[in-house]
Amino acid sequence: MVLARATKLHKSYSLGKTKVSVLRGVNLEVNEGEMLAITGSSGCGKSTLLHILGALDAPDQGTVSFAGEDLFAAGTWRRDAVRNRDVGFVFQFYHLLPEFNVLENVLMPRMVGTSTLDWMSSRKSAIAKAGEILGTVGLKDRLKHRPKELSGGERQRVAIARAIMNEPRFLLADEPTGNLDAKMGKGIMDCLRSLNQKGQTIVLVTHDPLIAKQADRQVRLVDGRIEP
Amino acid sequence: MYKLFLTFRYLISKWVAVFSVLSVWLCVAMVLIVFSVMDGFLDNIKQHSRGLLGDIIIDNKTLQGFPYYDEFSVYLKEQMPGEIDVVTPVIYSYGIMREPRTKFTQPVRIVAIDFDAYCEVNDFYDSLYYERYYPNTTSLGPVQIPVAGVDSKGKPFLPQELEEAHQKYLKNRDESKVDKTDFDETNYNSPHGVGYFFNEYGTPAMEGDPLPGIVIGTDVAYSRNKEGQYDRGLQRGTKIILTILPLTSGGNIAENPIPVAMRNVDDSRTKVYEIDKVCVYVDFKLFQEYLSMGSLELVDGTYSKPRASQLLVSLTKGQDYNALQPKIEEVWAEFLGTLAGNVTPIDARLLETVGVDTWETRQQAFIQAVEKEKVLVTILFAIISIVAIVLIGVVFYMIVLQKTRDIGIIKSLGATSAGVAMIFIMYGAIIGVIGGILGILTGTTVVANINELQSWLASLNPKMQVWSPEVYTFDRIPSVVKPMVIFAVFCMAVLTSTLGALVPALKAAWVWPVKTLRYE
Repeated sequence: MVLARATKLHKSYSLGKTKVSVLRGVNLEVNEGEMLAITGSSGCGKSTLLHILGALDAPDQGTVSFAGEDLFAAGTWRRDAVRNRDVGFVFQFYHLLPEFNVLENVLMPRMVGTSTLDWMSSRKSAIAKAGEILGTVGLKDRLKHRPKELSGGERQRVAIARAIMNEPRFLLADEPTGNLDAKMGKGIMDCLRSLNQKGQTIVLVTHDPLIAKQADRQVRLVDGRIEP
Repeated sequence: MYKLFLTFRYLISKWVAVFSVLSVWLCVAMVLIVFSVMDGFLDNIKQHSRGLLGDIIIDNKTLQGFPYYDEFSVYLKEQMPGEIDVVTPVIYSYGIMREPRTKFTQPVRIVAIDFDAYCEVNDFYDSLYYERYYPNTTSLGPVQIPVAGVDSKGKPFLPQELEEAHQKYLKNRDESKVDKTDFDETNYNSPHGVGYFFNEYGTPAMEGDPLPGIVIGTDVAYSRNKEGQYDRGLQRGTKIILTILPLTSGGNIAENPIPVAMRNVDDSRTKVYEIDKVCVYVDFKLFQEYLSMGSLELVDGTYSKPRASQLLVSLTKGQDYNALQPKIEEVWAEFLGTLAGNVTPIDARLLETVGVDTWETRQQAFIQAVEKEKVLVTILFAIISIVAIVLIGVVFYMIVLQKTRDIGIIKSLGATSAGVAMIFIMYGAIIGVIGGILGILTGTTVVANINELQSWLASLNPKMQVWSPEVYTFDRIPSVVKPMVIFAVFCMAVLTSTLGALVPALKAAWVWPVKTLRYE
């Protein structure tokens, strides 16, 4: 079953007076439960495609449907809600909030999607769930640590825990091992692989063929198009 | 939920927020102190300005005054028996006061009053100095010089009448209201207390010719030192010569200036410098004759009507002077109607310009001047508050710039632009609430102890004495903290802080997450 479908996506950026076309009519389908790797050279538009799939960026042309719903025909508030409930992002540079500890960072998506009143009643269960997820990524004893007190691999595992906190249907990982050494990178990939085996749909952007090989399916982006 | 969570976390983790709190804190305290002093000043001015007038003032604003005042007093009481309490005539004139012993002269404004009625119609009685410590001994009638002697134990002793009056005061005095700097009862010749002539070899006595009494405005004859104490250089009973210039009903000088010998019986301190610096109070009937405002025989054998400069009216308790002013105006018009045809042309001219005012409209120019000063100060502080808004805006802008990446992260987690803006707006509002509360606590504490604070500063360095009692109307810094002002200042603090955070909040809301998350 197709979870997300991108159709004729176009996206360009302005660099001064020059207009650079990054995506030129990309068509892509992501099936539920699969782990898809998007590869390509640096600057070919992999991350842009990932951001558009996750409703973090908007295409100039084309459509993205998620679970049958046209994301960009819906309003901003709807896309924000989808991003909160149905999409989890894992970034190359982790992007954790430095003022908050590990537990708080993981709880953040739940807090964003919950009103103050609901939070009062669901706080305990949310904390228990965050603790459980952090246990599965091997960080049970680091709950109260700030991001700066963690290694790169640990930070990325916190980012993964945060991304799956709301049990999203769609996990988007942008070069998740790009900032880590081989050993830590392997740990992160094992973690993602394990999530995928439990049914999590994952789209992975990487320029590393070894990482891409671990995915169920690979697509290559060349000159703004998916290579046939 | 995340909005509150992030707001509080940024608040406690960002030291730069302390500067915003500090600026709001100081602004609120400063505005509250200035407003309280201005309000206190204004309230005092209003209270004391009313003190020497009645609720209602009837006059034609000329020196020659107007006739038929006595008949109108009776008519008014008949027409409005439930509303009118006391009506008393006053004459205003100008003269030169001279103290023969020192040859000290000064131009003064003469206020001729019926002592008892005048004390009833306004707060004049409370302004009298000797009357406070020697009740019922001040009189504008003929008086002698009270001279203190010594008793068998060598203790200074005043004539029996004054000693008994003072005992009455001591019996009834309220210890909490005794101003130690005002009165030194152990010494009749204290430089800052009561002043009596003293004969250390004789017995207490009333000496000298009986002369009409004069109450002198305290600042006419005495000056204050830096502590606000008066040096009462003129003893009670000192001879004063008041030279006056009588006017005819046509406004011409009636005769040569008349010197009137009088005795200083008391001094009046209304606490309004503009009044206390120029006014002396004398007996109405006596000066009506001296100033040619009494009933005079005319060339045709008839008698002119006596005149007064003003009628002061006090209303019975609970009456609204603003509501009754038009009614009294109507009664005056009716009264004029009853006189029609029986009035001389000169009197008719004096009568037709008579107006009825409330004390408030009469003092409007003076009160408005202070109110305008208050508006001016408000504008100045509004400008300072704009500086605070800008400061908060800059601080928040810095925070938003520092937190751009965090904003991108939060948005990637599903936060809406409005939610992100709300974080910073709440941040601003909380800074306003904290700064406002601290500012109000500081402001009210300073206002409550402003005089002590000033004394302390002056003790460190005399140049830091910001309030000079010898210059200002009041000897202590007047201040009043009004709950409405506290509420308004607090709301303004929260509002301005929120406004200061608004532009940075909108900038935060416009952050495009992809741009901030692409690179480390």
